[in-house]
Amino acid sequence: MQAKRHVATSEDHGIDLAPMLDFTINLLIFFIITTSFIKEPGVTVDKPFASTAVNDPQGNLLIAVRESGEIWMDRREVEVRDIRVMIERFHIERPDDSVVIIADRNSEAGIVAEVMDMVRAGGIDNVSVAAVPPGGG
Amino acid sequence: MLGRRRYASHEPESHGIDLAPMLDFVINLLIFFIITAVFVKESGITVNRSTGVENPTPSDAESIVIQILPNGDIYVADRQVDVQAVQANVQRMRAVSPESAVLIVANTRAPTGVLVEVADEVRQAGVYDVTFNTTE
Repeated sequence: MQAKRHVATSEDHGIDLAPMLDFTINLLIFFIITTSFIKEPGVTVDKPFASTAVNDPQGNLLIAVRESGEIWMDRREVEVRDIRVMIERFHIERPDDSVVIIADRNSEAGIVAEVMDMVRAGGIDNVSVAAVPPGGG
Repeated sequence: MLGRRRYASHEPESHGIDLAPMLDFVINLLIFFIITAVFVKESGITVNRSTGVENPTPSDAESIVIQILPNGDIYVADRQVDVQAVQANVQRMRAVSPESAVLIVANTRAPTGVLVEVADEVRQAGVYDVTFNTTE
């Protein structure tokens, strides 16, 4: 009798891992779903303000145009003519991508126009220009 | 037999699957996804780009033409206006011809900030069909 009670209670001598496992797997699923693998340009620019700026949930290919005219994409500086090839490659990998051009407020509009044309030539028509909405962010 | 049962009762935890390796694996995955997660959401405005036409005539009959000069001056229908006045001007011209689209003709050296501000003003005026062009 004594020995049998010892056998019955011997299972719960440690911490029950099942709730922790459930919690961890839920967290894991959350992060897998929210991961979007954004291609970041790698530089910060001074974005213009726009009160009608809307969030672009699909915008995960970011191209930065700096004040000096440098174009940054996928964490390196690129030339205008390289953009088309890169866009074509990304477009094959993920066809529903859209492009956000993050242009400095003092950059030249001609460069932004060239970048926009190159993106469209690369096959992505969904191009927007980044702006800061009134609430910031 | 009796000895075997006693031996089994000393290791009661060996009856299920050992969860520890799976837990290690899951937590590694979790850490990977936490680290790679980027919560950057870019906000922006969408402007159309007219293709095919390299140098459009600014006096396009059907559209409201807004010109931006290299120094940031804004001309709505060949009259210089302030950034804040673009919305009122576009609204007034839309009231005259409601079907007209808006064409922003920016000089290639015009600052992008002004371009975005003008496009924003046009959108505030209720016109979301903004086309953007550049001139030399």
